[in-house]
Amino acid sequence: MLSTSSIYILFFTTGVTIGFGHCIGMCGPIVLSLSLNLKGAPSVWPHLFYNSGRTLTYGLLGAIAGGMASFTRFAESIDGLQKGVMVAAGVIIILMGLGMTGWVRTSVIFRAAPPVGTFLTRIFKQLLQEKKHPLMYLPLGLLLGLLPCGPVYTALLAAARSGMEADTTLGGVLSGAGLMLCFGLGTIPALFLVSRLTDLRWLRYREKVYQLGGVLMMVIGLYFIWQGLQY
Amino acid sequence: MKARRFNFPLFGKGILFLVLLVFSVYQPGVSSATDVNVDCDIQSGGCQKQINVRTIHLEILPRPVKAMTDLTFQVKISGDSLSEAPFIDLGMPGMKMGPNRVTLKKNGAATYEGQGVIVRCKSGKTIWQATVTLPDIGSVVFTFDVVY
Repeated sequence: MLSTSSIYILFFTTGVTIGFGHCIGMCGPIVLSLSLNLKGAPSVWPHLFYNSGRTLTYGLLGAIAGGMASFTRFAESIDGLQKGVMVAAGVIIILMGLGMTGWVRTSVIFRAAPPVGTFLTRIFKQLLQEKKHPLMYLPLGLLLGLLPCGPVYTALLAAARSGMEADTTLGGVLSGAGLMLCFGLGTIPALFLVSRLTDLRWLRYREKVYQLGGVLMMVIGLYFIWQGLQY
Repeated sequence: MKARRFNFPLFGKGILFLVLLVFSVYQPGVSSATDVNVDCDIQSGGCQKQINVRTIHLEILPRPVKAMTDLTFQVKISGDSLSEAPFIDLGMPGMKMGPNRVTLKKNGAATYEGQGVIVRCKSGKTIWQATVTLPDIGSVVFTFDVVY
């Protein structure tokens, strides 16, 4: 039987190996899109905020799974939400791509877009603007942390099991959250490395790359929407 | 005229960027259905394999075997009784999915049973593997298709 601290370390190291073995391939396109969307602005803080948001969402999901102490019941309850997040992620990436190519002005996008609440609209506007506040990547990370992902499910399965073994519901909530936070923290190095490699500030003539990147982002966005509808 | 020097760091970063771009689209490690040999029709019934002289019979219930649902894994082992209970590790061929172990408990003379869940992969691939391990004896891999 593993001690409590050993389980947390195991989840962190699992996150690290999953990060390099799985997330780079599956979440790489998102990180690439976020990097391109920065258009040469410093990328360390935005990516740290994005990863923090993603990890916080994992922690929240772990808390709920641990509290419910049943993975399948939990997964069933968030199934529709995850499908919606996949489609939303696709739309966000397409909008960022459109904004980056410069083919459509941000104001035109927002005139055409349905009113989705002042707060969300403000976040979208910030993400599409030339000058973005790094903190804007935190809500994006919180949202994209909800994307369906096999290894996240596997970790949540263990979080739900830890809830089953806990003496109280609160114990299950805390252990589930702790395990998922450790897992999320473990996945950060790989995705952060990807963000460093896709930082194009070193490139002298990058305007053409940004236009090409914008098109690539739209393709990635369409792929996400298609996956979300298939899911 | 001054000759332009080749910029190695810039070239290296460019290559890395291209590699990453290809990686993000290609999704390495995701095996296609055609390059993985499905050797167990778990949807029709149990499957059998050998470890030395022992026959290992795996059955997953209820059928159809569906991802994201509670499943019962049943393993029947021929030969002398085991000193330690076997266990099953679930994973996808060529894709890291995190540790997902089904612990089995004795449920009859040569039968072991345990509960587990096969999770769903966003890639849409449905081929999964169950590695049945008999401690101190060896392990055997069953590759099968699940329903999403």
